[in-house]
Amino acid sequence: MPVTDKEVALSERIEAFLAELKRGGSGAGTLRGSGETARETTALLRRITGQAQWSSAGDLMEIIRKEGRRMMATQPSETTVGNMVRRVLKIIREEYARLRGSSEVTDQQESLHQLLTSGGLSEENFGQHFKDLRANVIEAINELLTELEATTDHIAMQALEHIHSNEVIMTIGRSRTVEAFLKDAALKRKFHVIVAECAPFCQGHEMATSLSEAGIETTVIADAAIFAVMSRVNKVIIGTQTVLANGGLRAVNGTHTLALAARHHSTPLIVCAPMFKLSPQFHNEEDTFHKFVSPHEVLPFTEGEILSKVNVYCPVFDYVPPELITLFISNIGGNAPSYTYRLMSELYHPEDHEL
Amino acid sequence: VNKSLLVKYFRTQISQDPDVASAAAAIRSLLEFLKRDQSETLLGLRENLTEAIRRLGEADSSVAVSSGGELFLRFITLTSLEHLDFSQSKNLLVERGELFLNKISLSRNKVAKLCHTFIKDGAKILTHSSSRVVLKVLENAAADKKRFSVYVTESQPDSAGKLMAEKLRRLNIPVTVILDAAVGYIMEKVNLVIVGAEGVVESGGIINKIGTYQLAVCSKAHNKPFYVVAESFKFVRLFPLNQQDVPAQFKYKADILKTAEDLDKEHPMIDYTPPSLITLLFTDLGVLTPSAVSDELIKIYL
Repeated sequence: MPVTDKEVALSERIEAFLAELKRGGSGAGTLRGSGETARETTALLRRITGQAQWSSAGDLMEIIRKEGRRMMATQPSETTVGNMVRRVLKIIREEYARLRGSSEVTDQQESLHQLLTSGGLSEENFGQHFKDLRANVIEAINELLTELEATTDHIAMQALEHIHSNEVIMTIGRSRTVEAFLKDAALKRKFHVIVAECAPFCQGHEMATSLSEAGIETTVIADAAIFAVMSRVNKVIIGTQTVLANGGLRAVNGTHTLALAARHHSTPLIVCAPMFKLSPQFHNEEDTFHKFVSPHEVLPFTEGEILSKVNVYCPVFDYVPPELITLFISNIGGNAPSYTYRLMSELYHPEDHEL
Repeated sequence: VNKSLLVKYFRTQISQDPDVASAAAAIRSLLEFLKRDQSETLLGLRENLTEAIRRLGEADSSVAVSSGGELFLRFITLTSLEHLDFSQSKNLLVERGELFLNKISLSRNKVAKLCHTFIKDGAKILTHSSSRVVLKVLENAAADKKRFSVYVTESQPDSAGKLMAEKLRRLNIPVTVILDAAVGYIMEKVNLVIVGAEGVVESGGIINKIGTYQLAVCSKAHNKPFYVVAESFKFVRLFPLNQQDVPAQFKYKADILKTAEDLDKEHPMIDYTPPSLITLLFTDLGVLTPSAVSDELIKIYL
């Protein structure tokens, strides 16, 4: 129950954020980039750390978990919210371990080694109170925020290693990361980009406009023409909504087709995804994996009679298995899809996989 | 300390509790051996233990017993590094050993909890031979009120698949036994394949009852997910590159190894499935991709 003015203001901020999440979550219309969502979530978590009432790390983690669960329930397909909550929980664990003076951070990970050598059930209850914990956690979250702000630049910096002169690059839909990536390479190299329009939202059109304004030769093609054009493409560079725990992707619909066409022609498929998109989920959770929006985009309501006789679906996402992907480019460098498990163990604690 | 007592103890463990994993029974027997051992130095203890493990291997030549033994040896080395005085270490060893045994008795439940969410309503599952871990997974999924049906391969030469079918029928799960040769025929009907493992090798591949490799190749050809469920104490330090690389002591039963004249003419009981055919491994350390297995092994052994 809100007792002080600060707490009232805090819960108001949280409610406002939840309302925005719910509203801005449709696949069509003005998409909020997931980068913005990640930054706002982290800023809100920093506010909660600073202003909420808590005395020990365990309390703080409970509060953050509770708010995190609420945020994730509002918009289950927006995985960056959950990822940021897990990052902050890991930060809290690390700061707590550092203040306790133990190098227990690695010990907390489940491993065969830990099974053999640990004495007694190490139930970390995070109950101890430390004065400096609040300040330390807030500082670490600030570092996280700086990292988040610089992700697109770090990815774009690697563009020159991957794009060479006179290459034909294919992409699909609109990804801010890929846009920055290509624009950075265009400063020094001349190349050609083919954009698949990605029906029914046709975000590819905006991408093409934006790229041609930067002076890149761009061609827009229909999704059905992807396979036909693929033989002339040197590389496929795409963005994604989420990177799953097995190295697969949850990307905009049409990406699986693109990946299969690329595999058929042995064209490398490069995914530009910042680290905050890495999520510890697998694609088995069918109820929450897919998102369907109004089928009006596919078959408008004005069609009349036929609507009662057909089922129309408009899915937003596609699953791409890890075998079709060649390389992940993230703000920490390039990695193979089979290395995803390692990146995950560095970013999140196994107990936080299920919030 | 008499080695034949050790083998007898091991055999009693298995007969008293048929549900226990053979590696766990081996580790329990070795712990009993440790309690009764009279050596004064660590080197003496290690020598006795190595000899004991060898005797156990002669009684039951499966990969699981070998991996359990090696893990126990590693456990001794790591724990005794904490105290320089041997008699102090001895008490610590026994205490930690009991803790370790408690933890691994829970691993099968952990694996089952992780895996049953991958089984959806209306799924058709194909499994191979008889595996206690797969049984637990299916038990959990059935308890979760999921409706699914199971195909089990007969798995010659010991018809273990029929035993598995019996156990599944008792859980009220619709099950069909199919011939080993019918795997290709049935593959188009199934949604996913789940098998257990006797050993998980360093590359992320598995060693399991003969016929598993065939099943994996078939499921890859049909693009069906191939899931392996195994507890972490089955991770073993082998790196076979092909079927011939698997050591002969694991391929045949212990009595055949002693009496056979020409091993080439005997039927192997296990085969090796390479990691490229496996989609995911469910272990008590979490859901792993095959490439993550070697990381775990490095953490423990190096």
